[in-house]
Amino acid sequence: MKLLEALKMRWIVWAWDHTPNCAEMSRLASLSLDRPPSLKVRLKMRLHYLICVWCERYQKHLTFLHRAAPQLADKLETASQRTLSVEAKQRMVQKLQVAHHR
Amino acid sequence: MVQETFLAALKGGQSFAGRSAEKSWLVGILKNKICDHFRKASRETSFTDMEFYCDEESDRFIPDGPFQGGWIHELGPLEWSSDPGASLDSHAFWKTFHDCSNKMPKNIATVFTMREVDGVESKEICKLLNISENNLWVMLHRARMALRRCLETNWFGKQT
Repeated sequence: MKLLEALKMRWIVWAWDHTPNCAEMSRLASLSLDRPPSLKVRLKMRLHYLICVWCERYQKHLTFLHRAAPQLADKLETASQRTLSVEAKQRMVQKLQVAHHR
Repeated sequence: MVQETFLAALKGGQSFAGRSAEKSWLVGILKNKICDHFRKASRETSFTDMEFYCDEESDRFIPDGPFQGGWIHELGPLEWSSDPGASLDSHAFWKTFHDCSNKMPKNIATVFTMREVDGVESKEICKLLNISENNLWVMLHRARMALRRCLETNWFGKQT
């Protein structure tokens, strides 16, 4: 068991030494959405994801936002076009009338 | 700043060689402090608003040691819901998205909208805004980083 732990630690340290650190990885994750990275950089990034769940998540989140963002304009437009239901409008009119008569 | 000068003088008192009068030594330190201040200020404002995350989340990375530049585990990106795509149908999500992107400084928001919302190619944006590609990439990196963090705090972190 101890041997396994030691081997795991060695593997993590080795991979860490051979890949960019997380701050650099976050920069690369963004950059790769604008310009495809070289094969060497892609391999290094893959290797880093094997030992770092945070960078893997970061990259997933960025890709998600990158794919979602083009919908922003449409979604906001439909939201502003949404109107109240007829019943809700009637309720408001009634309340206003009641308030007016007081 | 004068206080800082005295502090620096106290700390570095031993290195004072006595070649000059104490007064001119102190004034020398003060001059350096003033230069540092403006150098720092110009560096920070040259790019973007001061309030923006201009440190590129450096507070979330390990500052030194063998794993320098690695995510501080407790502050690293969280696992978003198993199906973040479901949020795309929610009006509240898009409102949060919009609010988050509105918090960015204007120049960063402009670049972000052009690239991510309107899908304009990098080269095209550089030509239109007359900026270098490197400059554009730094701005996009900051925008995405800030947006990711803002949505995690205000949306995904709150979903169960």
